[in-house]
Order: sequence, then structure tokens, then C-alpha cells
Amino acid sequence: MIVAQELTKIYGSGEAACGALKGVSLEIGKGECAVILGQSGSGKSTLLSVLSGLERPTAGKVICDGEEITAMNEKQLTDFRKRTVGFVFQQYFLLPHLTVEANVRLCADLAKNKDYGEIIRAVGLWEKRTRRPKELSGGEQQRVSIARALAKKPKVLFLDEPTGALDEETGRNVLDLLCKAQQEIGFTAVMVTHNPSIADMADKVFVMNSGKIADMRTNAQKKTAFEIGW
Amino acid sequence: MTVSIKDGLKLFAIVVVFACVAFVCTFFLNFYLDALTVRDLVAEAALPLYEAQLLSAKLTCLISGLCLLLVSVVLVTFYIKLYLDSHAKQIGILKALGIPDIKIASGFWVFGLSVLIGGLIGFGGGYAFAPVVYGVMDGLDLPEVPIRFHGELLFFLVILPFLCFSAFSIAYALLKLRLPVSALLRGKEGKTAKVRASKKQRPFLTELFFGTLRSRPALAFFVAFACFCFSAMLQMGFSMKDLSSETMGITIAVMGVLLAACSLLLAMTMLVRSNAETIALMRASGYRLRDYWAAVLGGYHIPAFVGFAVGTVYQYGLLKLMLELVFKDVEIPDYSFDFVVFGVVLAVFVVLYELTTVLFTLSARKISIRALSTE
Repeated sequence: MIVAQELTKIYGSGEAACGALKGVSLEIGKGECAVILGQSGSGKSTLLSVLSGLERPTAGKVICDGEEITAMNEKQLTDFRKRTVGFVFQQYFLLPHLTVEANVRLCADLAKNKDYGEIIRAVGLWEKRTRRPKELSGGEQQRVSIARALAKKPKVLFLDEPTGALDEETGRNVLDLLCKAQQEIGFTAVMVTHNPSIADMADKVFVMNSGKIADMRTNAQKKTAFEIGW
Repeated sequence: MTVSIKDGLKLFAIVVVFACVAFVCTFFLNFYLDALTVRDLVAEAALPLYEAQLLSAKLTCLISGLCLLLVSVVLVTFYIKLYLDSHAKQIGILKALGIPDIKIASGFWVFGLSVLIGGLIGFGGGYAFAPVVYGVMDGLDLPEVPIRFHGELLFFLVILPFLCFSAFSIAYALLKLRLPVSALLRGKEGKTAKVRASKKQRPFLTELFFGTLRSRPALAFFVAFACFCFSAMLQMGFSMKDLSSETMGITIAVMGVLLAACSLLLAMTMLVRSNAETIALMRASGYRLRDYWAAVLGGYHIPAFVGFAVGTVYQYGLLKLMLELVFKDVEIPDYSFDFVVFGVVLAVFVVLYELTTVLFTLSARKISIRALSTE
């Protein structure tokens, strides 16, 4: 599903140049859940941005769903993101002046998904669909952002520290929700986190350090959100 | 210090608006004060014209001066709010370190600098252009009015506003700094107006179109004001060349374009900044440039065209009123609505407004969700 070959990303130039990715290669299969693990500054968020087409690498190749996204122009890349990927961010990025329902429609309309109400029900926010983000708790806001991403029926879901701003109980509930959705819909999930326990829920784990993949392992026995440590 | 001199100087819009305030007021008040000194020399027959000139100077100064002064206050308030919102975290850190509010707020006096600079430019410009106003009077067979320097005008139009705006900036910053440290460190978002949820189920882009417009009424006001200035002052400028002098007409038209450009640029910059997350998210999700041009900036077409229409009616009404009330005893060419000028100004307005929104849409391409995530 996702193949990355020798990815390099350098920010700045000359003496101020800083290599965020230094020859990263990886492969994630269709329907797999991959976790990119690493400390702050290890390059994991940059890798997520490059894999999802939000940023272009300085060198290297990314093939996603059979398409080489690194060779696409801006218009093709926009179209690719529209058709293929969904995002969940640590900061939620909900539109403050729109209701829960309208926030979910941001992505539902792109996929011409008329059944987005089912997704709002599935994340347990049907009763609160007319509320605005600031009237919701952090966990509820993250559930809205998950519903928004799922409403697009993405082939690949990219998650950047989705539980980073949540407490343990809320974090577990959010991860459980994501796991159930993945099993039901069958999308590929790529999650960035600094929490090593979350890696136990993944099929594949890539450990990043100083812009390189320092370790890669697969989990024969995945754990659920309520079985992992925190 | 949290605010640098450079930040104060960045308030280009306020410099321009306040330069216009000082220019108009210096222009007409100086003439008014000087004209009073020649009252005894005015012939009996020319008295109505003389009185009309004095009243016109007073009215223009009052209407334009007060209106522009109000705009300056709103602009400064807006800019400080914008500055505080975008620097909330840094200010939060200073507060967390125990620096008193008054010490942080005292740095905001530099915003008054823009008023001082604008005031000095306008005051100087007013004197430079004085011969034009005085020349109009000469052409009307009224006694020659000598141009005199009035020090009190320098105080009331430049120094006092500078002191007042500096004090106002500090007071407003103090008021905003009452927020708890935690809210500042979280990077408090600007308050958005409470918007009622629509009962109708509308497509997302339509919902965004109306939601964006209703959530920030102050921005809608600014866009409307910019278009009002453009429409009213440009049309007035063209019409005035027949009623007074060509130079006066051009001066008013140029001021209108300057005011419109400053207000519109400020409003659009704030609009793009305040919708940065929306734009970045839409880009990440796969929306095209034209989608957010239509949904985010598109909503502001409504206040823009309302502003233009009000400006048209205002300039016609004001000129008609001035001619019927102030110059009723004076022989002046008849004034009627100029459809040709209206058509030309409307066409120029449509082209310039659309061009501005397209340029701001293109500039929004630089906003990335990654940059916002790492902020």
C-alpha cells in the first residue's frame, strides 16, 4: 500500500541546513496498522507529512496505493489527498464556528458520503451534533476529528499523535474507537506517537532516531487499547 | 519589552488613515481660522458665499475628521487585538515569569507612534495643499486670505492624538492582559461571534461560506468600510471637479483609494490569518484553491457590495445636502447623479476587489498544516 524509498528531507540551506529524514525506506501493507515511534525531533512527523503528500521530500520516492506521489504536481497531489487519505491531528483542527455535523461534512462532502450521520453515531456524538467544538471536551473533539477523517472513507488514515493531548482513559477510548473503525472499514493506518505502549497495538512498528529508522518490528499478537500500558 | 518600535511602524494602515485625518482637518481648520480674520473685508454681496465657505470647511472637517478618527481608533484596537492574539504565548510566558501586566502593557505605547507619524505627514500635507483651498476662495472674488501657521492645530491634531492613542493602546492591552496565564499559553483563539446552527442541511462549503461571514462581523464591517470609502470618495472626487476644483476632486479620490486599500488589505490579512487552520485543513483534505476562495473569502462579497452601494448613496446624498443646505444662496452648477462615473467606478471596483481576493487566496497556499502543528 505504501512504499517509501530512500527518503531524505532537508530543511534550510547552507550552514543552516538540517536533515530531518536521512534515507528512510519502509513498506506498509494494505489494511495494516503501522506505528512510527520516536522521541521529539526524531523526524517521525516529517516522515508522516512526506508519506501523506503534505510535504515533498528533498530526495527519494513515495508510492501510495500504486501511485508515485512524489512525482505528482500540486493539482494531482490535491486530487490524491481528496481520493485517498484522511488525517487526524493532535490539535484536532476543528473549525470553531461550525457545528460537529458541519465539521464532519468537511470530508463527507468530498467523498459524496451521505451516510456520515452513521459515523457521528458510531463515535457517540449524535446527540451533540449541533454543538460547536468549544462546547465539547478534548476527547469529544478528537472523536469529531476522527469522524471527520472517516467520513471521507479514506484508503489510508494518517494520525499524528492522536492521543497526545488526552488523558489516559480518554486516550484509550479514542484508540479503541480507531481500532474498531479500522477492523470494520479496513483502511491502512499510519500513526505517529512517542508513547511506546501504543506500538503494541500495531502490526508494524518503525522506531525512528535522528532522521533514520533505527528499528523495525512486527507484532504477531496485537493488543487492544485496554490491554496496553500507558 | 514585548513590543518593538518596528511593530509600531508596521501599522502602515493607521499611518495612512491618520495622515488623512490630519490632512483633512489641517486643510480645512487652518482655512477656517485664517478666513475668520478677513470677515470685515468681505463685501455685503459676497457674505452668503463667504459664510457658505466657512460652514463647508467646518462641516467637511467635522464629518470626515470624526469619521476617520473613529476608523483610526477601530484600526488601532484591531491591530493590538491581532498582535495580542498572535503573541499570546510569548506574553503568557512573560506573565508566568512574574512580569506585571502594567510592565508588559507599557510597551504598547509604540502603537501611538503610527498616529504621530501619520499626524505629522497629514499636518505637513495640509499646509502644503493649503494654497489650493485658499485659491478656490480667491477665484470666487472673496478677499485674499493669508496662510498662517497655527501652533494649536499641531497640538490638537498631532501631539494630543499621539498621547491619547498611546494611552489608549496601553489601556486596551491591559484590559486584554487580564486573561489567565493558562489561556494565554494555550494560544487563546480570538473570540468568534455566536452563530446559530442552521436547521437546514446545507453542503459544507455553503455552511462555511455563511459561517465564516457571520463569525467575524468586525471583519465584514472592515471589508464593507473599505468598499464604502472606495465607492464614495472616488465618485465624490469625480463629481467634485465640476463643483469645486479638479485638485480637490483628485485629492478626495486619492484619499479614497488609499483608505480603501489600507482597510481592505488589513481586513484580508486578518481574514486569511484568522482562517489559517480552515485553509490548511481544507488543503490537507483535498479541497482546491478555488473552493476556499469561494467559501472563505467569497462570503465577504456581500459586505463588499453592500459597502459599495451605501458609498454610492452616501456620496450622492452628501453632495446634494451640501448644495441644498450650505450653498443654497450661491450659484453653483446643478448636480445630478452621474451614471457614467458610477459605471466606471463599479467596473474598476469589481476588477480590483476580485484581484485582491485572488492574490490573498494564492498567498494562503503557503499556509501548511504541518507548520500549524509545530507552532
